[in-house]
Amino acid sequence: MSAAEQRVGAVGSVVEQLREKIRALQAAPRRYLAVLRTGMEAVDALLPSGGFPLGQAVELCGEAASGRTSLALRAVAAAHREERLCAWVDGPRELYPPAAAALGVDLERLLIVRPKAPEQRVWAAVQLARSGAFACVVLDLTRGVGSTGRMSRVALAEARKLADAAERGGGLLLVLTSPESPADGVMRLRTEARDGEGWSVEVVRSRQGGTGARAELPWSVLYPELGLEDGGRVLDVVEAAEDATPDFLREQAGALRNGCGILGQRPGRDASMPSLREGLDAAGVAH
Amino acid sequence: MRRAYLHFTRFPVQRKVVELPELTGRPFALVEEVRGQRRVAFASTTALKAGVRPGMTLTAATALEPVLRHFPYRPEDEARALTALGEALMGLAPGFQLSAPDGLWLDAGAAHLVGGEEQLGARALESCAELGYRAHAVVASEAFTSRALARYGARRVEVVPPGEGARALAPLPLAALEGPEGAAFSALGLSTLGEVAALPAAAVTARGGAAGARAHARCRGEDDTPFVAAVLEEVLEERVVLDWPAESFEPLRFALKTLTDRLGARLSGRRRAAVRLTFTLKLDPAGQVRVPLTLARPTAQAKLLLDLARHRLEEQRLENPVAEVSARVDEHSEDRGQQLALGDAPEGDAALEVVLSRLVTTLGEESLFAAGLETVHRPEAAHGTRAFRPPERKRGLAVDGLEAGRRNDVGGWNDADSPLDAGSRNDVVPRVGRERPSRLLAAPAWLDAEVAESGRLLAARLGGKRHRVTALAGPERLGGEWWSDAPYQRDYYRVHFEGLGPAWVFRDARDGRFYLQGLFD
Repeated sequence: MSAAEQRVGAVGSVVEQLREKIRALQAAPRRYLAVLRTGMEAVDALLPSGGFPLGQAVELCGEAASGRTSLALRAVAAAHREERLCAWVDGPRELYPPAAAALGVDLERLLIVRPKAPEQRVWAAVQLARSGAFACVVLDLTRGVGSTGRMSRVALAEARKLADAAERGGGLLLVLTSPESPADGVMRLRTEARDGEGWSVEVVRSRQGGTGARAELPWSVLYPELGLEDGGRVLDVVEAAEDATPDFLREQAGALRNGCGILGQRPGRDASMPSLREGLDAAGVAH
Repeated sequence: MRRAYLHFTRFPVQRKVVELPELTGRPFALVEEVRGQRRVAFASTTALKAGVRPGMTLTAATALEPVLRHFPYRPEDEARALTALGEALMGLAPGFQLSAPDGLWLDAGAAHLVGGEEQLGARALESCAELGYRAHAVVASEAFTSRALARYGARRVEVVPPGEGARALAPLPLAALEGPEGAAFSALGLSTLGEVAALPAAAVTARGGAAGARAHARCRGEDDTPFVAAVLEEVLEERVVLDWPAESFEPLRFALKTLTDRLGARLSGRRRAAVRLTFTLKLDPAGQVRVPLTLARPTAQAKLLLDLARHRLEEQRLENPVAEVSARVDEHSEDRGQQLALGDAPEGDAALEVVLSRLVTTLGEESLFAAGLETVHRPEAAHGTRAFRPPERKRGLAVDGLEAGRRNDVGGWNDADSPLDAGSRNDVVPRVGRERPSRLLAAPAWLDAEVAESGRLLAARLGGKRHRVTALAGPERLGGEWWSDAPYQRDYYRVHFEGLGPAWVFRDARDGRFYLQGLFD
């Protein structure tokens, strides 16, 4: 076979490959997103459709640190893997983007909305969900840790509006609430921090069934390097405040250095140097 | 030099119909003031059929056609509209020259890029038709030949090969000369340009002088008028003066459509997409309202711009009626267009733009943003805010090719022990983020803490409740910024509070107290 014939053969095979690829693309079913999976099998198994269903409103209710935010972030990350847009209505202004990025959230595709007035939160979420431009809208209705005052509860009419917006827009609407002021009228998942070992999720209210299903998971599923199992592990630092703090941070900078005077010199002829032995003992405890 | 002339028959009339569609098929006239008298400058076809002629006084025209509507004729507005049209055609030609009031020359030097001169003419007419204008196009080497043929020729698109100008011009009537020379030749008993061209040059020059010689040369297909391309304005701005101050939004709607249509056409002619626009409403008798509009996805689509503008302006509460509307593009970027896949809605991201615009109007621009990571060690400063400009979705063959390429590039970068399926995640996530809380307080809150003698945290009071510490991990020491006014030195602990959950707490070395910074929610 001559070189020219070989070349023709190669070109032909490339064209054939491309044709094959186009055929495969055309034959493949259109990627249609129906649920957003959290990536945690135990949680996905709780939900009737095997993940957070699109076109519905779901409430995640739990204490201040019970894994609600991480679950929502995982749903957002699942939408981002399909290159869809998401929005986060951040009522208490507490979402920490670096942690979100670590969970796989594409920060460029996440619109963060921080309304100034609390009553605008639900309105903003309804607008975002109804538009249909976002696959997942998270509405954070919790109260910040430091803030005081009564939390307004999501009324039945508002919950109806939220559910309707989600249905019309075809996206998922996640509502984060605290147990003191839960929302009414939507599917509810209750999250609970049990102890240093783990946390649990329970389906409290659901129209599609599965009410009462419960999963218990270790914290390492959400935060792989949290390290709070068995009471945690503390690196025992001896009186860190004395030694570790750089001098320039202390009030009287020159007064105390190594327990001696300025520049570590002896304070005077009459005072004795501190014993070396004491320092060595202290170091032994530290390591 | 090859150039194409586009002639828009009675351009001001066409423009008026484009701006006010209700005038279609109605008799109306554009009126200018000549020595204190209002005279008809241009009349619509229906008005012409009724006998209205340009140059007539308005009184005479109204006597002929009692339902005749009239509008003022403003040559500067026509020139602006014509310029916008020329810019819109810059996708086909590198430059254009205005020939007020109803035509323009295009530089046909790049006709081979669109498939030849015939194609250039056809596509220019197509573009004009999309904007609502009807025109004739003639491509020729001389300015006069192309203009005269477009105005007085019969064909919609015509190409005159180089050197054949005289033959193409020969059948045209003397009126095509458009000057006093025409009358002189007509007095000699001539009726077409071909007959003029056949006269001996010396005789014409002896009788008609320089002007006669020029007219004669033009008829022979010789014209050395240079092509002077219009200089593009740096600032993309459009202005519409309303015929009378608008009390309601309805008249404004048409003005906005004109504005956005022109801006969209000009932007797409320059292959640019608007990122930020400002709408200015001049009120009558005094006052001004500025409405900024920022787009998440840059666009040159007039329809989308109109939707957004309408939405933004509809909600404005104005004290006085609006006399004038203008729109300026403050920032624009390269227009990459939008690739729609099979089954996508043709409006693409319109829903996104509309909802963003609605939120911006109500909540304020600073309430909407996308976050970005900063290379700062202090936890509360490790992220910043950016404008929300989501990247386009990649589809079809492109996404497969890109993903395959990236997978090869990345190779071993994906950490296999990731909690998510590592294969699908292409970007490298910073490891340190995995032990950071998902909620971070804007400012660290002082913790009412119970501390053992050894310095160990035992319990804390939060929201009036005592929470016992059941697990504790740390410390992780973070310090820095000693070069600035506010250095920090903190020992971070991950603490599990009973009845609350895991929290991120630090002990500040400056005062030895515990602070709550975040929650592992």
